[in-house]
Amino acid sequence: MDDLTEMLKGTLEGCVLEIIGREETYGYAITRQLNELGFVDVVEGTVYTILLRLERNKLVQVAKRPSGVGPPRKFYALNEAGCEELAKFWAKWQYVSSRINRLKESGR
Amino acid sequence: MNFWETITGSDLTREWKAFEARAEALPDDYQAAWGQIIAHLFPYGGFTGRNLMPILDAALGLLEVAAADGQSLQEVLGDDIPGFCTALAGGEGARTYRDRWREQLNRNVAKKLSRLGG
Amino acid sequence: MSIQDIIEGKKQWRAHMARVKALPQDYRIVYKEMQRYLFKVGPVDLPDGPLLPGIVDFFEEGVAAGKGVLELTGNDVAAFCDDLVKDSPTFAEVYQQSISGERGTAEK
Repeated sequence: MDDLTEMLKGTLEGCVLEIIGREETYGYAITRQLNELGFVDVVEGTVYTILLRLERNKLVQVAKRPSGVGPPRKFYALNEAGCEELAKFWAKWQYVSSRINRLKESGR
Repeated sequence: MNFWETITGSDLTREWKAFEARAEALPDDYQAAWGQIIAHLFPYGGFTGRNLMPILDAALGLLEVAAADGQSLQEVLGDDIPGFCTALAGGEGARTYRDRWREQLNRNVAKKLSRLGG
Repeated sequence: MSIQDIIEGKKQWRAHMARVKALPQDYRIVYKEMQRYLFKVGPVDLPDGPLLPGIVDFFEEGVAAGKGVLELTGNDVAAFCDDLVKDSPTFAEVYQQSISGERGTAEK
């Protein structure tokens, strides 16, 4: 699907939290996972800005690990505050999507 | 009281001297642009001039970086110094300028990368 | 700012620019355009904050992975920049706040 950028704003951060919450991972792997999910327009830069924000807001733990090629890679894992933020995200998502679905259903 | 008196007549003198020293290290055309920037930021300098300091610092920083990279002044500021100052101070029309810089950025990237690809 | 700070700052800046120079040309072009844009937009923590070195880290990883720069940032480089500084106040914002504050007290 094309042109999801505007609609995804605000929810991508939650998706990234969810992915990090499953296992410690790094930017490129997160991007790939989002692409495979069907969000093909998401580039590494987008994920990078989100990771930067998560780091600044102290929601993740960051570890630099050597990678096979090139400079060391930054790996991200959720900390306690991050887990709370993730739970909040899913609660908000549940609320918003149920309301929007209700709106759609009520028009039928 | 004008901007100069405001600045030089206060405890900001020292900070101001540091700006001047930095500006003197710039190439001539950049120094001229710096003078213009000060003149155009003057109307924003309202009360103490203190709140202008970070903006002046940012502008001078931009000039320093650009001069060190050997970029032309035109490339950095475009031909509209008053507009540049408006945007720096966040006054009316600042949005428009940011939009323009945004377009400029993407246009320059596209242009320069395509030249590279040949 | 002491002379020592200025010298130290210049040294760091030179080291930073040396890393930029070591990037492939397409990366260098995009980095420089981004830097120019960011300096104009003026987030307050730009000159000595982690933002610019962070971009170089990110780019170096992309180079090591053999990617083109736009694959990393997406075509809308400006949108990438805006995302990067979304949470940082700009000089203009700080300034506008300071004058509205002064006006507020002056009127009392």
